Amino acid sequence: MKKLLAIVLVLVLTVSMLAGCGGATGSSSAASASAPASSAAASGSEAPAEAEAPAGWKPSKNIEWIVTSSPGGGSDIYTRMIQDIMVTEGLVDQTILVNNKTDGGGEVGRAQVSATKAGDQSDHTLLTFNSGDLMPMLLNTQSRIDGFTPIALMAVDNQLLFKGEHTTYADFAEAIEAAKNGTVVVLGGSKGDDVATYQKMLEEIGLTESEMPYITSDSTSDAITSILGGHIDFVISKPAAATEYVEAGRLIPVIALASQRYGGALADAPTLSEIGDYNNVDIPVWRGVVGPKNMSPEAVAYWTDVFKQVSESDQWKTDYLEKNMLISNYMNADEAAAFMTAYQQDYMAKEGLK
Amino acid sequence: MENLQLLLGGFATVFTMQNVLACLLGAILGLIVGAMPGIGSLAGVALLLPLTYKFNPTTAIIMLGALYYANMYGGAFSAILLNIPGDSPAVMTALDGYPMATKKGRPGQALFTANMASCIGGTIGMIILTFMGPALAEVGLRFGPAEMAVLLLVAMTSIGWLVGENPTKGVVVTMLGIVLASIGMDTLTGSPRYNFGNLQLMGGIPFIPFVIGTVGFAQVIQLMEERYKETDARVDAKLTIRGSMLTRHDFRRLLPPALRSGFLGTFVGVLPGAGATTGAFLGYAAQKAFKSEEPLGSGAIEGIASCEAANNAAAAGSFAPLLALGIPGSGTGAVLLGGLMMWGLNPGPLLFSKSPDFAWGLIASLYLANILTLIIAIGVIPFLIKILSVPLKYMVPCITVVCIVGSYSTSNSMYGVLVMLLSGVLGYILNKNKYSTAPMLLSFVLAPMLESNIRKAFIASRGSVAIFFSSAICQVLMLVFFVIIFTPVFKAILKKFKKGKPTA
Repeated sequence: MKKLLAIVLVLVLTVSMLAGCGGATGSSSAASASAPASSAAASGSEAPAEAEAPAGWKPSKNIEWIVTSSPGGGSDIYTRMIQDIMVTEGLVDQTILVNNKTDGGGEVGRAQVSATKAGDQSDHTLLTFNSGDLMPMLLNTQSRIDGFTPIALMAVDNQLLFKGEHTTYADFAEAIEAAKNGTVVVLGGSKGDDVATYQKMLEEIGLTESEMPYITSDSTSDAITSILGGHIDFVISKPAAATEYVEAGRLIPVIALASQRYGGALADAPTLSEIGDYNNVDIPVWRGVVGPKNMSPEAVAYWTDVFKQVSESDQWKTDYLEKNMLISNYMNADEAAAFMTAYQQDYMAKEGLK
Repeated sequence: MENLQLLLGGFATVFTMQNVLACLLGAILGLIVGAMPGIGSLAGVALLLPLTYKFNPTTAIIMLGALYYANMYGGAFSAILLNIPGDSPAVMTALDGYPMATKKGRPGQALFTANMASCIGGTIGMIILTFMGPALAEVGLRFGPAEMAVLLLVAMTSIGWLVGENPTKGVVVTMLGIVLASIGMDTLTGSPRYNFGNLQLMGGIPFIPFVIGTVGFAQVIQLMEERYKETDARVDAKLTIRGSMLTRHDFRRLLPPALRSGFLGTFVGVLPGAGATTGAFLGYAAQKAFKSEEPLGSGAIEGIASCEAANNAAAAGSFAPLLALGIPGSGTGAVLLGGLMMWGLNPGPLLFSKSPDFAWGLIASLYLANILTLIIAIGVIPFLIKILSVPLKYMVPCITVVCIVGSYSTSNSMYGVLVMLLSGVLGYILNKNKYSTAPMLLSFVLAPMLESNIRKAFIASRGSVAIFFSSAICQVLMLVFFVIIFTPVFKAILKKFKKGKPTA
């Protein structure tokens, strides 16, 4: 009797573990499954918009949306925000499963999407694709953007350079002078985009990496930790991650790494061309979506239209763009393909890749 | 005193029916998630997060905070009962917990020890957080790359306490851990290392499957080998709630390590990028320096208490930089931070002054979660320990399933399972030849952190070693480091000298 009870308990434990895992991976579907009910009511008013969509291909099964970074990061929030809008606005009536595939620094997930065979599955697969994904892919693998079908470009961001409370330089011009006279001025920031901007900026102000070194952190928040502790002199960050610290007076914007100044609390920061005889450094950080190389043209047309509607929704504008101080920059499939290819060419030329 | 008042205000926020229920639900989910290998607090919080968007932010963060917190308790369950750490901080718990549960036949006491120590460590962490949170967060900031590098050097020396009787074998496994950890992307430049053209290896060896393999699956292989030797039931002790209570003597043994680790853990939790796993490792290693009634590793209560108290204290401590400065002290903290932003709250230096209800409500909910989790955990212990009386022939396939599911779920791919199986074989071979796996796991965690901090420090100093002696923190830590390194040398010389005297 006792033995039987014990066996039952083990079974329950195992089942609950399995169920737990199932529930875990399925949680996004649970969220989206509950939403169609609420969106059904809303779809009455949406009906005209839907009628405009090209009648033709429509998703007929679950959509797998792959994100190659971990849950909770910028790319993940971006993806889940769009997923949420698609469901609440009733743009997609199938379940969207967001799948975080982080193996191999994201290369495994990208390779898998790229290689999806033509057919139903390739029409139901999406991949979050940002400039920060493209750069390591070009550097470390043979994959190129032509291995994917760009679907849309959703937003563009730029960076700023900030100084901290412990920074001894009044502004960046003074720091450039100091670096030219042999003092080490240490910069910091995140990986990918930030490094590219840093390199471009060095080239522009005519310093070498040993005169003005750069410390790569895993994330922007790690880099901000370093500057708050006074371990680096300047930090490169996107506006969204830094505004709270600017407001609290712990970070001071010194350079806008864009073609023009920012507004609001960041308006004091001049562009690079304002502080000396330099060109502005403007490397756009973009967020987009691509599909497998073999996605059918009908499916591409459907998806690019869905993303257009997302970019026009109020929720996208207020809850995502405004909150993160991003610039809306919707591009359809053709424009996005041209943009991403041009970006790839620039980057490869700079890194000396073939 | 002002803080105390604000905390009471926080309790007033928490004690609504809705919030207490959310806290309870979070605590239960946390225990389950924590007990499941592979799904740590990071995944648990990340997966629950989208579901909480529709809640009001205070209720949501209370639930997530409770989940994060209870997770630290849950991790100990599978570590003690199955020798599979439910999450990474529980690796150290398994070292003493599993022998205590099986060899000593005291599974109930082992679980009680873990939970009591967790509660004590957590409470210390939270009291410190309440009164000194923002100040501590500022101290944590003083730890830059150079300071962290020296601190990690000190931590690495603590491996010396874990190597066991044969130092050569200890050094070999430590090196193995470092080599395995260096596979994957270079932390600073992002270029691939030792991946042999393999896409999977480019991301390195994932820690969770590696741990499940070397500890849990290695155990399975060993059990299969021993199958014919063993009798049907492994533990026949009276597995009742009364039989699993701690004696007064047990409690006295538990208390000092739990208190020490509580303070140590809180401090480690506050440091940027350290987290609960490092806290547990250091808590356990520090215990080696103190007296334990039984040798550590053989099922000592002190061993379980020291690491469990440290990891809960670290979990509490990691809220200090999160709340005071908006800096996540751990991966889980980063997810919570993402959640705060989704709810329209801006975590950062102004959170306490702008949304005091929220910040203090969260701290109050941690106190509540701590107590609730302890009560729930104690309630389920008598049922959980029945697992140990299940015959091996049923247990082996069950544990194998748990290992596979756990390692699959870390990255939703078979790569994790492959890593788990291979490291299981590795762990089995090492155990069989009397190589302890603990130093390997410790160096696997610490080496990448040490590497990136040393390199960052050298970038900032343009290659000058002086940076490691430049600040007061560095100098003190360096002193500690050299004392630890040279004590055995001097002791040996002194011994020789004393021996040599009479003859000379």
